Amino acid sequence: MIEGDAATSAPAGARTSTDVFATPERRVEGHGKVTGAADFAADIKRDGMLHVAFVGSPYPHALVRRVDVSGARTAPGVRAVLAGADVRPARFGRRLQDWPVLAWDRVRFIGDRVAAVAADTLEHAEAAAALVDVEYEEQPAIFDAEAALADGAPVLHPDAADYAVVARRGEQVKRSPVPHPNLQGHEVHEHGDVAGGFAKAARIFEHTFRVPPVHQAYIEPRAALVWIEGDVTHVVSTNKAPFSLREQMAQTLDLPAESIVVHTPHVGGDFGGKGLSLDEHALVFLARATKQPVRSLLRYADELQISNTRHGAVIHLRTGIDRDGRITAHESRVIFDGGAYAAGKPVNSLMPGDAMLTLAGYHVPAARVEASAVYTNHLPAGHDRAPGQPQNSFAAESHIDLIARELGIDPLDFRERNAIRAGQIDIHGDQWHASEVPRVLATLRREAKWDAPLASSHPSSAQGRGRGVALGVRHVGRGKTSMELTLGPDGSVEVKTGAPDQGGGAHTMIQRVVARELDLGPERVRIEQLDTATSPVDPGVGGSRVTPVHGNAALDGARKIKAALAEGRAAPITVTGTAEQQQHMYGAYAYAIEVELDRETGAFKITDATLVADVGTVINPVAVRGQLEGGFAFGLGQAAMEELVIDDGRVVTANLGDYKIPTIGDVPKLRLVLITDAPGPGPFGAKSVGELANAAITGAVANAVANAGARVYSLPITAEKVFAELHQGHSPA
Amino acid sequence: MSEHIIRFTVNGVRREQHVAAQRRLIDVLRDDCGLTGTKEGCSVGICGACSVLVDGEVISSCLLPATYADGTTITTIEGLARGGELTPLQDAFITEGGFQCGICTPGQLITATALLAAHPRPTDTQIDEWMTSNLCRCTGYHGIRRAIHKAAVT
Repeated sequence: MIEGDAATSAPAGARTSTDVFATPERRVEGHGKVTGAADFAADIKRDGMLHVAFVGSPYPHALVRRVDVSGARTAPGVRAVLAGADVRPARFGRRLQDWPVLAWDRVRFIGDRVAAVAADTLEHAEAAAALVDVEYEEQPAIFDAEAALADGAPVLHPDAADYAVVARRGEQVKRSPVPHPNLQGHEVHEHGDVAGGFAKAARIFEHTFRVPPVHQAYIEPRAALVWIEGDVTHVVSTNKAPFSLREQMAQTLDLPAESIVVHTPHVGGDFGGKGLSLDEHALVFLARATKQPVRSLLRYADELQISNTRHGAVIHLRTGIDRDGRITAHESRVIFDGGAYAAGKPVNSLMPGDAMLTLAGYHVPAARVEASAVYTNHLPAGHDRAPGQPQNSFAAESHIDLIARELGIDPLDFRERNAIRAGQIDIHGDQWHASEVPRVLATLRREAKWDAPLASSHPSSAQGRGRGVALGVRHVGRGKTSMELTLGPDGSVEVKTGAPDQGGGAHTMIQRVVARELDLGPERVRIEQLDTATSPVDPGVGGSRVTPVHGNAALDGARKIKAALAEGRAAPITVTGTAEQQQHMYGAYAYAIEVELDRETGAFKITDATLVADVGTVINPVAVRGQLEGGFAFGLGQAAMEELVIDDGRVVTANLGDYKIPTIGDVPKLRLVLITDAPGPGPFGAKSVGELANAAITGAVANAVANAGARVYSLPITAEKVFAELHQGHSPA
Repeated sequence: MSEHIIRFTVNGVRREQHVAAQRRLIDVLRDDCGLTGTKEGCSVGICGACSVLVDGEVISSCLLPATYADGTTITTIEGLARGGELTPLQDAFITEGGFQCGICTPGQLITATALLAAHPRPTDTQIDEWMTSNLCRCTGYHGIRRAIHKAAVT
């Protein structure tokens, strides 16, 4: 697809390089997105396209004894019906391929698919799916992650030894051994003298926190379209990492990767969830069986019931503090509910990326951290914006606040006292070579007027007031990519990349980096997104990677064009810009939140919010602001509203009316303060912002509500929990 | 299922369409008229991505049987810009960060267009009341609010 219509951009012409970043961007895809012209996966059709419906298990755990598709096969309009036996042994997954394309012997959650129908219309497909007759033998189900690790717990994946691991860069990776068969992933980290640290502590504090599963709740449900031309399988997908999907499908389908071509159009929201594709694999089998294009549009109810959620978690924290109020040692144990399959997780550990980050932004001289992701009979969990962080950040920042208040130290003072500084080590035992954490906290103190007294409510008033603070850090993403740049005879540049844009502004960022380096108006740089057959290999968007990795590749390409011009070469000049960003660095941020709490109902509202964020050089000012404001609202949903309620394995918040995300009236004003002069490893000193705001808001809200009178140890912090804490002295978990 | 003939005007074009009784307006717009700018999100009338104007009123096209659109005048996202020129509201969505991924944007623009028609200079409370029917997961709504205010004074 081609983006960057010159006719809709600012007047052409060269400009000074500093202007490029100072002028707010107009997104390259902006015109298409405000006129309805921008195509998303569900907007793309093929002649003769069939429609697909799936048959899901009504049981959370059962053996599949018999699947009778004869009634469905002869139903009107039906072109193919497939069951598990037709796809065996195909399983899929981003890293560990443990999720059967269609279950042939065992179903592990409500909605686990056992059959698929392709028909002339969706109505025909759904009518036929209802005729598939499945005989199940129910098995004991596990809904509690800690119970899953008990001796004698039913083993949910007896065939785990057969599961493939998706190869990376041609290398087959073996799965790390786990100490219990119901573990997806398990890691222990230890550094420093933990026992000694606790021994010399003046006080030791211990708390337990609970976080429920939540959904990414992008507004675009997954969609996929598959057709086969000769030896080539074409896939239109909502997947935000097309090359990664190609590798996964090659492994699942036992095909050469080059024979699969993935086309990703505009992605209608991701937040980590669109890295996992569900339907594409089954569609290939249906396209083979019917020799026609087949399309599947996931209904939103299925998004909420079978898709990959953020992991629910139980987080135990223990921290020793010396007489000066400094951390001496930290111990934590985190148990993540991974659900029925680990397929949604792309990392080797098979855990959420920041599973081990149970204190973030502090100097931790000694620590022991143990984290587990556990198989249960819940729907599979996966990656969601800053994976692992909102859970751990809520726990850690509540824990830190509880300690400070218990010690009689101002919570912001206590954080400043323990903030990591250059040369100190963090919870992973890693030394920081630079730290903006103290500066972020000092800026927050000033901007949020922390030292001014909080306007207190009258003692007899039903209104309570409180304020809270929370600190967060997020890595600047790492990885490598390349893209092709061509300087045309007219002096304009075309950039060909394999990276989709899921809304973060990747393509506009690339445009502006090239424009600045070559002293061009941004409208003279055109971005073209290619499919996996024609693009250089690309890791896709995610992991706070795009600006530091793709931005540096764009910069490298622009510099190569400059060098070629300096050598006297004439346009057209085509170069490959590459970048490998492996520098380990964090961005830091902190919130101060004020709340007003109604003691009679437990309801609270945010009356003031300040976010200070260390973002490095700003390339897309509109997008940076939007990502941080959006992250604030996204995290606020998790802090105060969102819970995917699962009752005996069944998701009962099964539509966007029951699963409540913030609306415009739910999101308060935000005072946003950027620190831009601490350079990051990205182009021109940029860092990352996509996952820089959404985690710590959970702790900031919890701490403000606690300051107003009700400490809640689980998310979301609802009026019901606050009321129970105020009136019964405890909050329901 | 019975078949019906409906006549309506969409984005200034008169159309006649054969529809099955259970067919939804969104299917007629997206599949029969090729107007895929209107998006399907939640399918239950909550998210507002499928919002269109039916005789000037904001309607969730995923909930409306197409037969109910007989005799109406419909505006979809494709019908906002005239002669290729963006409306001030569309332009403000670009300059103020009113969208990121863009999937909810057609619905946001449809509702905000109706809001500005009813209240040319809306207050924040009026923006909350009107726009609460349209979910956005990317922007946190701040950019949408800024865009509406900017378009209102243009």
